[in-house]
Amino acid sequence: MRITPGRKITNILGAELNKLVTLPSIWLTISGTFILNLALAAAFTSIGQQGAAGSQSILDIGLATMGYLQAGFILLGILAACSEYTGGQIRSTLTVMPWRGLQLSAKLAALATITVTAALIIAASGVLYTLFMMRDTAAGAGIEIDTMLKALAGATGYLTLTALLSAAIGSLLRRTTPALVILLGYYFVISPVSGDALPGYFPDKAGSYMYMLSSADKSDVLTPMQGTGIVMLWTLLCITAAIVLYRKRDA
Amino acid sequence: MLTINNLVKRRGAQEILSGISFTARPGRVTGFLGPNGAGKSSTLRILLGLDRATSGSALIDGKPFAELLNPLTTVGAALDGSGAHRMRTGRAHLRWLARAAGLSRSRVEEVLDITGLTNAAGRRVGSYSLGMGRRLGMAAALLGDPEILILDEPVNGLDPEGIRWIRTLLRERAASGNTVLLSSHLMGELSETVDDVVIIHHGKVVANGTLAEVIGNHSTLEKAFFALTSERAGEMV
Amino acid sequence: MRAFQAELSKLLSLPGIWLAVLIGAVAPAFIAALDSTAQKEDIIAGISTRLSEVGYIGLAVGVQGVIILGVLAVSSEYVTESSESGGGQQITTSLTAVSSRLQLLLAKAGAVTVISLLLCMVAILTTVSTTQLILGEYAPAFAWSKLTGAVCYWIFTALLAFGITVLTKNGVIPLTVLIMNSSVVSFSFLLSKVTTLAFYLPDRAGTDMFMIMSDRIHTPFTGGLIMFSWVAVLLIIAAMVFHRRDVAA
Repeated sequence: MRITPGRKITNILGAELNKLVTLPSIWLTISGTFILNLALAAAFTSIGQQGAAGSQSILDIGLATMGYLQAGFILLGILAACSEYTGGQIRSTLTVMPWRGLQLSAKLAALATITVTAALIIAASGVLYTLFMMRDTAAGAGIEIDTMLKALAGATGYLTLTALLSAAIGSLLRRTTPALVILLGYYFVISPVSGDALPGYFPDKAGSYMYMLSSADKSDVLTPMQGTGIVMLWTLLCITAAIVLYRKRDA
Repeated sequence: MLTINNLVKRRGAQEILSGISFTARPGRVTGFLGPNGAGKSSTLRILLGLDRATSGSALIDGKPFAELLNPLTTVGAALDGSGAHRMRTGRAHLRWLARAAGLSRSRVEEVLDITGLTNAAGRRVGSYSLGMGRRLGMAAALLGDPEILILDEPVNGLDPEGIRWIRTLLRERAASGNTVLLSSHLMGELSETVDDVVIIHHGKVVANGTLAEVIGNHSTLEKAFFALTSERAGEMV
Repeated sequence: MRAFQAELSKLLSLPGIWLAVLIGAVAPAFIAALDSTAQKEDIIAGISTRLSEVGYIGLAVGVQGVIILGVLAVSSEYVTESSESGGGQQITTSLTAVSSRLQLLLAKAGAVTVISLLLCMVAILTTVSTTQLILGEYAPAFAWSKLTGAVCYWIFTALLAFGITVLTKNGVIPLTVLIMNSSVVSFSFLLSKVTTLAFYLPDRAGTDMFMIMSDRIHTPFTGGLIMFSWVAVLLIIAAMVFHRRDVAA
């Protein structure tokens, strides 16, 4: 049976997508993140309503949950990569798809299609909730649709890239717990605590410029495009490292 | 046809395989024997491209595993365990495998039927018994109806009926011209199934030939095995 | 006692525990060093507003180490993430070796407590000496009562992580939630802006044992008491669930 290269790639992509959607923990993570995000958005909105009206834009409040939201996408990336190593599934994977570089790339592509959709829905739901609750305030009146779309696109892109970066780290480490500790430890403890001691081109800091559009009055800020480029570079770097090591080592 | 040629595998300072050579030919069932830690699984893993050899080669129809055009329809492999994620259902596991090889979904139902898993197919793999996990591994190996079967301890954990099923299946596959390589600890079971025998010990081949040749002067395969693999076999007598 | 020693050796032979120990013992000193260096000029000039927090912020972050400890102590019993394991879980072996489930749980909780205690003492030692080294004569005096509060906070947090993991059997969820929550802007901090009830959440109340927040409402003692009640209730629930459930379920 002859198989064309194009056919081979669609088969592998299909299989990787199939693997992700039949994994219950992926769905649990997405729905858990969705619910948590709405709850946090409600909390931020209620704080915003107590504060001086109009002091914060609706977008800032709606996207204030991003800091927490990224944890769900970090988890999503780690689960996608590390699930291969549960129950010896990696052996099945590699006996059907021994082309390791291609297989890992296909897995990341499949993950990206899922995270783009999930990130867009989750981020939009938070912003829309805030918009709905605060439509009567002064801040609600001045919302511009295309600014909102830009911020949402940035947020979706950032969350997707974060998930891919986490998947690459997960694939390097192969075990869920260490990957989780290292990534969450960086994003939630090391980075916030060290504050300005870390340079601005670290993935989370550069990434925040992808969706925080209104902070453009500071001098050392990046444009959304610069932020995107830097996070993309980090992600590609980790993916390359993951693929190189994956091809070299014993499964 | 499987050709293993002067295979060497080192992990750190430890030499796991030190120059293994043998072939498994079409139309025959080849038994691969050795004590725990002799290097059986390492050999099979290298053959399947899971591990990398330090030197030497392990070829399938003259090619390394990664160069096969459609691996699943050429080689069916069942190594230790089910090879499936615990949280997935048995059917979902076989479906993504079929998807990767471009096979139809009806083939999944066929192998579920062959391995007697149809009723358990909707359950999570984590809830399977050891024997059901092995059956799922066999179902994955048979999915592409391959010319070559590579099985690590296929009867481990199976009930008597399952053992007989495997034996008949392997004989049938060999009779229709396919290649079968299996490792096992169960001598009695093996001597009823295999045509050729390869015995390894401490990473070296200590016997290689037809069943009758390897048994030689000993009364059973088991006696021959212990004579070949016990430490300082000569001095003990 | 034998069960306790067995749990101790089980824990110490887990590679992940050494990650926890590393984070717990080294991270607080590292963060205290960063913080002290950043604040040094202000402190010398006498204008620092955060003099009383120096060093303690490291201890608040280092608690991550014992979170990992508490989670791993339980999740390692249920883990099957190995390419060769045929789905075997250590919990089956553990329960055959120590037949009383309550005894097993108590022994495990005891081992977690002892390791957290030691870890926190090491962390305090390194943090205090780092602060002294950097700030010299300007270093704040570390009060014994507050250091005891920090030790209690670590132990209680470890036991909370332990109890939650007994309920979930899986380390991923508690680890994610608790590490996120040990972040600078924790959920309970956020909630405390919405409702004052949030001051009764375990981490928020527990911090009052050793950190002086601008908006605290508990004394260190009541803060500790509130956190202890959370721990006690959670452990009782965990013990009941653990006692009743099938191992394989």
